Amino acid sequence: MGSRTIHETANSVWFEVAGMTLDAAVGFVFIALSVASLYLLVAIGLSIVFGSLKYVNMAHGVLYLGGAYIGLLIASSEEYGGLLSEYGAIGLDLGFVAALILTPIIIFVLGVAMERFLAKPFYDRDLLDQLLVTFGVLIAAQELFAIVFGRTGTIYPRPDWLSGAISLPVIGTPPGLSAASTIRVLVVTLTLLLIAVIFAFFKYTDYGLAVRAGTEDSEMAEMLGIRVGRPFLLIFAIGAAYAGVAGVLGGSLFNVTNSIGMEIIIPSLVIVIMGGVGSLRGTVVGSLLAGFVFALATVVEPSMTQASIYLLAIVVLTIRPSGIYPSAKIGQ
Amino acid sequence: MSTDNVQPDVDDESSLLSVDAWDRIKHTERFIFLISVGFALTFSYLFSRAPVISDVTQGYHGLTITILIWSIFALGFNLLLGQTGLLSFGHAMFFGTASYATALFSIHVFNEPLTIVVVGVLSAVAVGVVAALILLRLHTVYFAIVALAIGQFLYFLASNPLEGITKGINGLEVERTPLLGIVELDHQYRGILGELVVNNLYLFVGVFFVAVVMFITRIRKSPYGLIFKAIRENETRASFVGLDVWRYKFAAFLLSGGVSGLAGALLAVNTQFAGVERLYWSISGDIVVMAVLGGLGTIVGPIIGTFVWFYFRGIVNGFPTLGDYWLLMLAVSFTAVVWAYPDGIWGMITSLTEELRDPKALAAKVKARATGGSDAEGSDGGER
Repeated sequence: MGSRTIHETANSVWFEVAGMTLDAAVGFVFIALSVASLYLLVAIGLSIVFGSLKYVNMAHGVLYLGGAYIGLLIASSEEYGGLLSEYGAIGLDLGFVAALILTPIIIFVLGVAMERFLAKPFYDRDLLDQLLVTFGVLIAAQELFAIVFGRTGTIYPRPDWLSGAISLPVIGTPPGLSAASTIRVLVVTLTLLLIAVIFAFFKYTDYGLAVRAGTEDSEMAEMLGIRVGRPFLLIFAIGAAYAGVAGVLGGSLFNVTNSIGMEIIIPSLVIVIMGGVGSLRGTVVGSLLAGFVFALATVVEPSMTQASIYLLAIVVLTIRPSGIYPSAKIGQ
Repeated sequence: MSTDNVQPDVDDESSLLSVDAWDRIKHTERFIFLISVGFALTFSYLFSRAPVISDVTQGYHGLTITILIWSIFALGFNLLLGQTGLLSFGHAMFFGTASYATALFSIHVFNEPLTIVVVGVLSAVAVGVVAALILLRLHTVYFAIVALAIGQFLYFLASNPLEGITKGINGLEVERTPLLGIVELDHQYRGILGELVVNNLYLFVGVFFVAVVMFITRIRKSPYGLIFKAIRENETRASFVGLDVWRYKFAAFLLSGGVSGLAGALLAVNTQFAGVERLYWSISGDIVVMAVLGGLGTIVGPIIGTFVWFYFRGIVNGFPTLGDYWLLMLAVSFTAVVWAYPDGIWGMITSLTEELRDPKALAAKVKARATGGSDAEGSDGGER
C-alpha cells in the first residue's frame, strides 16, 4: 500500500514521541486509528457476508477499487491514461464531500448486482470455489480498470479544509489535536459512526434480527415465514457501500491505482480470519490490533511496517487457530 | 479412479491397437515417461522453430524454457490443490525463497548449477516445514488466506528489513558456471540436436521437467498418493480409517513446496537473477490461475494451463490491439472455468474424446440424467 505519507508522518511523530508530548501521542493514536478504520470499513462487509452467508468474497476488493475511482470521478476532473487518455480531463468536479455521499450509493447498487449475479449462484458451492471465482473476478476487474484508466496512479486532490491540523469553527484547533491531520480525524470519526450504525442495525432493526435468525438457521427462519433472502441482500449491499466509502477515504490517504483492490483485500481478509469469522467484534478488534501494530512498526522499526500486520496475523493464528473470537454469533 | 493403480499387461499383442489397449497403455508409467521425454525434446522445436505450427511464435526458444519451469511449478502446486485438496494462495513463498537461496548460495558459497538447485529445493522444504506447522491446523479458506499472509510476510520481509541481503527490488545476480564443472549450459548444439534442444540449458531444465512428471506420476500411482486423494475426498473419513491425516497433509505440503522450490531455483539459474517480486502474491495468484485453467488433479492439465498463460503473456501480449487485453481475457476465462467447468481445459478435452468414443454410453447418460438417475457419477470428470 502506498504508505509513504504514513511513513513520513510517523517518522516525524517519532521524534516528538521521544519528547513524550501529548500532541505526538495523539498523532500516533490517530495514525493507528485511521489505518484501522480503513481496514475495518473493508473488513466489516467481508466479515458479515462470510459469517452470515458463508460466502468468502475476494471480489469485495472490486468495491473498494470501484469506490476509489468513482469517488475520484465525482470529486475532481483528472486526465487518465488507458482508453480514457484521448478524452482529456474527465470528472464531475463536485468536490470531496459529494464524492463521500454519492459513491456509497453507487457502490450500494453495485453491491446489489454483485449479490444477485455473483454471490447468489455460489452460496451452495464449495468455499474454495467461491474463493477462486471471486479471485478471478477481482483480477479481471483490476485489469479492466487498468485498461480504462491506465496503470499510473492518481492522487485525490485534497481540499484546503482537509489538509493540515483540524480546525473547528468557533474553538479553532481543539487542545491536543494539533498533530492529528484533518483527513485522519475525518476517517476515524466517520468509521466510528458507520460501525455504530451497523451494530445498531443488527441489534435494533427487524432486518438485523432476520439476518441473525438466518445466520443461525436459514431453513428454520424461512419456515417461520421470514424471507431471509432480502435481509441478506441488504446486508451484502451495506457492506459493499462501506467498502465504497473506504475506497474514497483510502484513495485520499494513499494513491489510487488499479491494483489497490487486491492490496486492500489481502490484509482485510487476514483481519477477518484473525478476528474470528462471523464475529463483528472480532473484526473490530482485529482491525484495531492491525492498526496499532502498523503504527507501532512505523515508529519502532519502519522497515517492518508492511510485514508487521502479517506477522501479527501469523502469531495470533498460531496461538488461536480459530481467531480471537472463535465462532461467535453474528452481531456480537 | 481405479485405473490409476492397475499395472496393466502391455504385452498383450492381440489387442494392441484396440481402444481398450490404448486405455491401458496410456496409464502406464513407461508410456508417460516416453511421452514426457518426447514432449520435452520436441516442444521447443514445435513451438519456436517448426515452420508449420504458427509463425507468431517463431524464435521464442527462451519462452519454452520458461514454460517448462513454470510447468514444474504448476505441477507442484497441483500436487497440493488437485491431489490433496488444499488451496494455498501463498505458493510464491516456496518459489521466491528457493530463488533467493539459489542466488545467495551461488554468490556466497559455491556456484555450480546442480548444487545451487538442490540448495534451492532444500530451502523451500525448510520454509514448508515452518509454514506447515502454522497452516495445517487451519481449513479451506483459512488455510488459503493464512498461506497468503505468510507469503506476503516473506515478501515484505525480503523487500525491506532484509534489503541488505536480498538487495531489494534490484535483486541478485546468479553467475552461470559450467554444470559439474565441465558442461557449459550455454553451449549451442548444431545439427538435429541443435534444432531440437538448441542449448544445454534447455536440456538441463528438460531433464528436471521429465523427472518431476515421473515423480508426480509415481506419487499418484502409489498407495501413498491414494491416501492424499482420500484426504481430499473426505478428511474425516480418512482419519476414521485410522490414517494420520496431519502427517499425510504435511508430506503433501512439503512435496508440493519442494517441487515449487525446484521451479524457483531453476528460474534463478535460467534468468541468472533472483528478485523480490518472485515472493509477491501475484506469483501465487498466477500459479492458481494456471493450474485451475488447465485442469486440476491431472498431469497434463497444469502444463496446458501454463502453456496457455505464457502464450497469452508472451505472444498475445504483443498483438496490436488485442495485446492490452491478455490478462483480462485470461482472468475472465479463469473465472468461467471455475464457474462452469471445474475440470479445466484438459477436462474438456478428455470428456469430449470420451463422449465421442462411446456414443452409446453418452446416450445412456443423457437418458439417465433425463430420468433423474444419479448413476452418472464417475463417468464424467476424467481421472483426478
